[in-house]
Amino acid sequence: MRPRDTFTPEQERELEALDRALLGEPVEFELRELEELVHDIRATAPQMRPAFAARLEHELREGFPAPREQPSRVRGVRRRWILLPALGSLAAVLVALVVVVGGDRNDATSTLAGEATQVPGKGASRSAGAAQDQAASAPSAARSAPVAQPPPAAVDVAPSARKVQRSASLTLQTPAGDFDRTVADVQARVASFGGIVAGAQIGESDAHGGEATFDLRIPTAKLDGALAALAKLGDVTERSQSIDDITGSFASARERLADARAERRGLLRTLERATTQAQIDSLKARLRSVGGRIAALERELASLRRRADLATVTLSLRGTGQRGATGGGQWTPGDAASDAVRVLEVVAGVALIALAVLAPAALLGAAIAIGVRTGRRRRREAALDPA
Amino acid sequence: MAPPLNTSTESFDALYRDCARDLYAYVRTLLGDDAGAEDVTALAFERAYRRRETFDPGRGSRRGWLFGIARNAALDELRRRKRSAPLVGDLPDETAPAPDEEADLAIRRTTVRAALATLPPRERELVALKFHGGLTNAELAGVLGTSETNAATRVHRAVSKLREACNATA
Repeated sequence: MRPRDTFTPEQERELEALDRALLGEPVEFELRELEELVHDIRATAPQMRPAFAARLEHELREGFPAPREQPSRVRGVRRRWILLPALGSLAAVLVALVVVVGGDRNDATSTLAGEATQVPGKGASRSAGAAQDQAASAPSAARSAPVAQPPPAAVDVAPSARKVQRSASLTLQTPAGDFDRTVADVQARVASFGGIVAGAQIGESDAHGGEATFDLRIPTAKLDGALAALAKLGDVTERSQSIDDITGSFASARERLADARAERRGLLRTLERATTQAQIDSLKARLRSVGGRIAALERELASLRRRADLATVTLSLRGTGQRGATGGGQWTPGDAASDAVRVLEVVAGVALIALAVLAPAALLGAAIAIGVRTGRRRRREAALDPA
Repeated sequence: MAPPLNTSTESFDALYRDCARDLYAYVRTLLGDDAGAEDVTALAFERAYRRRETFDPGRGSRRGWLFGIARNAALDELRRRKRSAPLVGDLPDETAPAPDEEADLAIRRTTVRAALATLPPRERELVALKFHGGLTNAELAGVLGTSETNAATRVHRAVSKLREACNATA
């Protein structure tokens, strides 16, 4: 159907009259000229020779037994073009498999990379890798981390004196048959990094394979290595880290301690000069009060130092499958479901990566195909141009 | 509705009977000689027959599909010859009116031939597709690889020139 707004009404009429004349239908009187033109041109149409018509009809009846054209190299090339999308798909799937398999090989690392580190006070998150960098250079990390403590300028603390408290949480899964050995390994590895097991709750169950929760203290400087070593004891199902800048609290406690000590020195000097019993009693009472404050502040400072020096790690260990089974337990319907989910995840990942590769390839292929087709058409039609 | 080509050889037969003469007239107009036109017409039918399973009714009519195949074959033949199509006016006058036909009819046809000869080859081809092939503008668009509007515009322009040429010749 012609868009009506493209032609003038007169052109519309002429085109419609032409179509009617070509169909052998009558046209309006003023456009009879077109009808005559159709008749005249059709009357001049070249006619088939009867011999050719008979030969062609014979060939048609026989189903064109003698091909006029042999498959040429060009046609062969054209057929190979058809294979390009298939080859592209194959390449995309291979790339996807390499990515997925490569990712599985470093499952602990890749899981870590996908996690976020919570910074208390602001609820902000950043990648674990960034968090580890922060821990390695605590001063710069503390500067960039949004924390609930007063800003650095307010506490007037040198960057090198920054105090950061780190904590981490790790959940591991291990086959029920390996549960006891893994519990022992946890303690050994913690000790090898100079850490301590501050508390542990270990429960065993034939039905569930056992569960244990460890409250660990690990030297902050060795936290990353210890976490990596602990992660190798099982399948990491959950992992998180947090960083708390306690520089403000530390500096404040230290200043208050210095003030209290100065106050005590002043009181002692005044006591030496005291002349009356009343003055002496009053000064001694104030000295006791200041002494109590100093002791409390010293405890507070020690606690803050411990928090900065020792990271808190909560390790949850879960045994899966039934205990007593060899080789990591029997393969249960739960395992099957878990495997099925994993397979679906991998398939979805492969499909996604394949789509990411194929979509641009398909667009490019379509553009090339259109270009080739247009070029071929133009080359053909150039034959109609005068030599 | 005609059965799909890929399910019926009889259907291809029907297409052949419906289009053979028109297709030959179009190819003959394009190439300008009987031998070439016969070869290309036969080649076009052979190609169409072998590819009949690839015909997609959703992309156009069977007639348009067949004329598209014939056009490609004819243009390839023209390229092979390294020359453009000879003018229709150069063709032997096979359709001269019989002695008993009226004189004015003979004059009109001579005029039309002369007018067709003045058209550029692309417009002459368009006239052949429209008048000999009997293609609708939608079918023309499919054959020429353009829009239906553009095909209609080109048809109107060619017919207008043809009418002017006829009037000038007359």
